Amino acid sequence: MTRYILQRLGYMLITMFLIATFTFFLMKLLPGSPLAAADKLSEEQQAIVLEKYGLNDPVPVQYFNYMVNLAQGDLGISFQFDNREVTTIILDRIGPSMQLGFQAMVIGTILGMLLGLVSAIYHNGFLDYSSTFLAVVGQSIPSFVFAGILQYYVGVRLGWFPVALWEGWEYTVLPTISLAIFPIAIAARFMRTEMLEVLGSDYITTARAKGVNKFGVVFKHGLRNALIPLITVLGPLAIGLMTGTLVIENIFAVPGIGEQFVKAINTNDFPIIMGTTLLIAFLFIFIVLVIDLLYGVIDPRIRLAEGE
Amino acid sequence: MKKTNWYLLVLALVLSLFLAACSGGDDSETGSEGEGTDTTETDSEGSDEASGDSEQVLNIMDSAEIPTMDASLATDAVAFQWLGSTTDGLYRLGEGAEPEPGIATDHEVSEDALTWTFNLREDAVWSNGDPVTANDFVYAWQRAVNPDTGSEYGPYMMNGVILNAEAVSAGDMPVEELGVTAVDDYTLEVQLEKPIPYFESLTTFGTFLPLNQAFVEEQGDQYALEAETLLSNGPFVMTEWNHGEGWTLEKNQDYWDAENVQLEEINVRVVKETATGVNLYETGEVDRAGLSAEFVDQYSSSDEYRIEEEPVLFYVKMNQENEILSNVNARKAIQMVIDRQGIVDVILNNGSLPSVGHIPANFVSHPDSGEDFRELSGDLIETNVEEAQQLWSTAKEELGIEEAELGYLGGDSEVAQNMDAYIKDQLEQLEGLTVNVESVPFQVRLDRDTAMDYDLQNSGWGPDYIDPNTFLNMFVTDGANNKTGYASEEYDSLIAEANNELALEPVERFENFLEAEQLLIQDDAVIAPLYQRASAQLWKPYVQGVIVNPMGPDYTYKYAYIEGK
Amino acid sequence: MDNYKPQKELFVPVERNEGESEKISRPSLSFWQDSFIRFRKNIGAMLGVFVLIVLIVMAIFGPMFNEYGENDQDLSVAKMPPKIEGLGWIGMDGTLTTVQTADTLEDAERKALMRFSNQEEFIDMTVLSNGANGEAEVRAVYDPYAAKGLEENFWFGTDGLGRDLWTRTWLGTRISLFIAFLAAAIDLVIGVAYGGISAYYGGRVDNYMQRIIEILVGIPNLVVVILMILILDPGILSIVIALTITGWISMARIVRGQILKLKNQEFVLASRTLGAPDNRILRRHLVPNVLGLIIINTMFTIPSAIFFEAFLSFIGLGLPTPTASLGTLIDDGFSSIQIYPHILLFPAIVISLIMIAFNIVADGLRDAFDPKMRE
Repeated sequence: MTRYILQRLGYMLITMFLIATFTFFLMKLLPGSPLAAADKLSEEQQAIVLEKYGLNDPVPVQYFNYMVNLAQGDLGISFQFDNREVTTIILDRIGPSMQLGFQAMVIGTILGMLLGLVSAIYHNGFLDYSSTFLAVVGQSIPSFVFAGILQYYVGVRLGWFPVALWEGWEYTVLPTISLAIFPIAIAARFMRTEMLEVLGSDYITTARAKGVNKFGVVFKHGLRNALIPLITVLGPLAIGLMTGTLVIENIFAVPGIGEQFVKAINTNDFPIIMGTTLLIAFLFIFIVLVIDLLYGVIDPRIRLAEGE
Repeated sequence: MKKTNWYLLVLALVLSLFLAACSGGDDSETGSEGEGTDTTETDSEGSDEASGDSEQVLNIMDSAEIPTMDASLATDAVAFQWLGSTTDGLYRLGEGAEPEPGIATDHEVSEDALTWTFNLREDAVWSNGDPVTANDFVYAWQRAVNPDTGSEYGPYMMNGVILNAEAVSAGDMPVEELGVTAVDDYTLEVQLEKPIPYFESLTTFGTFLPLNQAFVEEQGDQYALEAETLLSNGPFVMTEWNHGEGWTLEKNQDYWDAENVQLEEINVRVVKETATGVNLYETGEVDRAGLSAEFVDQYSSSDEYRIEEEPVLFYVKMNQENEILSNVNARKAIQMVIDRQGIVDVILNNGSLPSVGHIPANFVSHPDSGEDFRELSGDLIETNVEEAQQLWSTAKEELGIEEAELGYLGGDSEVAQNMDAYIKDQLEQLEGLTVNVESVPFQVRLDRDTAMDYDLQNSGWGPDYIDPNTFLNMFVTDGANNKTGYASEEYDSLIAEANNELALEPVERFENFLEAEQLLIQDDAVIAPLYQRASAQLWKPYVQGVIVNPMGPDYTYKYAYIEGK
Repeated sequence: MDNYKPQKELFVPVERNEGESEKISRPSLSFWQDSFIRFRKNIGAMLGVFVLIVLIVMAIFGPMFNEYGENDQDLSVAKMPPKIEGLGWIGMDGTLTTVQTADTLEDAERKALMRFSNQEEFIDMTVLSNGANGEAEVRAVYDPYAAKGLEENFWFGTDGLGRDLWTRTWLGTRISLFIAFLAAAIDLVIGVAYGGISAYYGGRVDNYMQRIIEILVGIPNLVVVILMILILDPGILSIVIALTITGWISMARIVRGQILKLKNQEFVLASRTLGAPDNRILRRHLVPNVLGLIIINTMFTIPSAIFFEAFLSFIGLGLPTPTASLGTLIDDGFSSIQIYPHILLFPAIVISLIMIAFNIVADGLRDAFDPKMRE
């Protein structure tokens, strides 16, 4: 097991290193600079400003410096926010994104599982059709369209929840719902398929034959076995949420990392683009690793370490 | 059967959704419902008691996070706005863009107009208790041009204005040589490079704000990064700054003019989407919201609807290094073929004006008669598609071409997509012309502008001080922000004369600018003017006394108050 | 249960017949015939196919149904509501409605008139509340088609520049589908080749190729796509490249996994033992089993590519104006969602229909290719 984890961590480092290198040189290919008023300065003056950012050095030197700093957790200084460290900016902004992502994930998987369960239990019944319908629609409407509609009708017309901003739990309701739609849809469809498969298997039939009632079977035997494969979709779900936050945070004026990333993209603020890219990549790899390990722990059929 | 039934259900429901959305589609209600209306009619009458009752709190939005609160590094509207609200410079922008006393009570100008001596008030203090002294200005200005600071606006605003700024900013001279000295604690002497008629207006600008040397040096790298690491000497103090989310300003009780400041608190939230802003306004969370063209249709009949004119011009820059655009007839054809009225009426729909020159309307007026520059200068271009076609065919003949292809760098405003598509369509009315639109981020556009890597470019310019020079100085030969390849000795001499020999002759100077503008737009067709920007907004009627500025900070909140909320 | 004992005479032996036991009672069907029969019975999936065909046909021929061009601008007919003769009852009657409130009835009416530039003769005013209780409310219905004297109808309305949305929606569908199909095709070619080679050669080659994939898979495709769009000039091709640069990986993994699994399965070994040539094993056993998965995976790739295109447009990295795609149209419509919802509505419906249809068809195919579903 330890060997396996170490091996995976090794891959993780290599991947991070490659991503950092790849992004660094991509950014060097792009135009854009920390100058906010390049149209107002002579070229000599521009060079003086660039000196501060170390941008007058040859690219290999810049690359070396960046990697050395990166190893120490220093992501450089933002182009658009003068003197502000990218690390600080990201730490400032990550809280709301994490909270939204976590809430959406929890609500999404729980609701999705329930929907999927209902579908499976009442297979081919009205509840099955309506919950599966909800799942397909949820997966088919772009989340920002949904968010816009939600904001106007629930926020403005009905006035149930705050329209936007970030000042307390009630402010998280609408963005969380907008974000959760996708996980709900995925989890529901996945759960339904898995549950149907489990419910059709021999041991369930046996349990039923032995007189365990319908719900007992579903919860005692079915759910457990259907849950294991569900863990595998959590990874892609988390990634889907990252994509979602980019647009949802803008619409609901949430001071999160996604909103910051979009702004950085639109202003070519490379230190922030790179910092956020590395962060997203790290989270991604980390989640995949955790899920793989979890999978080994939960599923008795997969025992990695001893088996090898 | 299997799992097929629900698919049918899905399609049926999608269809019904579609129908429902369609029939409900055009239902729109106006802003007059909700909290705003009830208070609409409580206008000024009987307001005295009301103002006492209202909580003096202003809730507003900004479209972006503050990039910096360091006056030396500030470059954009958001930064200048909040610097201006928390810090007083020598002078402040008051009603009608007239400078009013800030830290300086008055000043004397020497006969040769090269030495300005400011007398500072003695009751101004920083929010840490230190008095505001002449040295704070000396330090701030030296810091702005010091190459180690890496300021962009420092050299831009001061080079050629303050004595030795050019050499200091290039690192060729120690900062102490900069032409600004503290005669004593409350007397500041400024040496100018040449007479600058608009210098008083310049001193209100963000880059010229004072800094408390001891505090700034103590904070070092951390200066102005958080609410705790910055000082204020102005009407408001920043008490809270949650990056990305918003910030809070409270009244500065120690402000020298505190008795004239009524607002107790300003809450600013960062909101980027227009629709989100309007929705927040509707639910009463904020007191002001900007409107896009679509929302103007809905709200223009509201009592809370306001238009704010700005002296910001947008135009198409034409790169004369391009063979086609080097032809003056081709450029004139491009100027004439664009329907500016359509742009302002339909695409912008926010009170923007068609632009017919390179000086905005209501910006500067004749020193004697007081007539507006724009009125005196008149419409330097008009839209005339037929004449444009003729000019275009002449140009094609002169160039010996039948077809032409030009690249177009798009703008970056909210309406950019529609604007770019429209201008492409307008330009392609010229026979045989193909326009390839490229939408790029603002930064990239600036880079390509600097490298002159473009054919046509949607560009904008706002004034840095109130003088025609801020617009017309751009296009002198090899000017840092000319970048069109335009080189005219006649134009250069007109501008040079205005800034040197005629610096102290306001009327003749004004005439020079009139002549220069005509040369630039009408004779040489250097740029194709598009529009003068305005912004459409909703304001809660209980917000009073906010001054809208043509430059520097967009708004002055010093005299704002809440009445009858 | 215990007290019920079946009697012996209830059981009658079946007459045995040597010939019959070897007889094949059902017609011999190839894998594809069998799958097709099952797929055809799936009403939902067939409906999905039908919707897709309609959408594709409309994407090809829709713009020809009227004479408006993709970029024909006319600011005088900007933001016209949709109007289809005979479909007035579902709201596509080409009118705009506003509800205005004010303290007095006159004020409310004045505002309502102002909302539609005071063209009184084309405004139909209904008083909802006469202001007796301090608040008056009127509803005004405005007919811009009559006001502008238009004979022609815009079926889906027009956008902010007066461009016909019917034409743009179908052209946009065309572009989006094109992007999605192209991306899916490239994913397929690279993915199948990579996965196939890796599994076929096995050993060290497989080992190295898998390490590469393991590293690549760690890079979130969101980031890669955004970075690629940033460095490439915006356009259809760059979006396709950005989407495919990591998109093929899942295909490669599926193909490799499947082939590795199949290679050692009993039925393959059996037919090899029975002397079947490689060619036959490939054709009869490997290809059909892998192809099903490839098709299903592709069917899921297409809608996600369409979604991604819309997402990119929304964060400002989409196709350059004035090209219409579902993404750019939705992005454009989003800004007027509350006032002119028709600009958003039609592209949003089309994108949702495409998503739903592809998902249903893919589900249907999965069931159809699954031999376990065989009756």
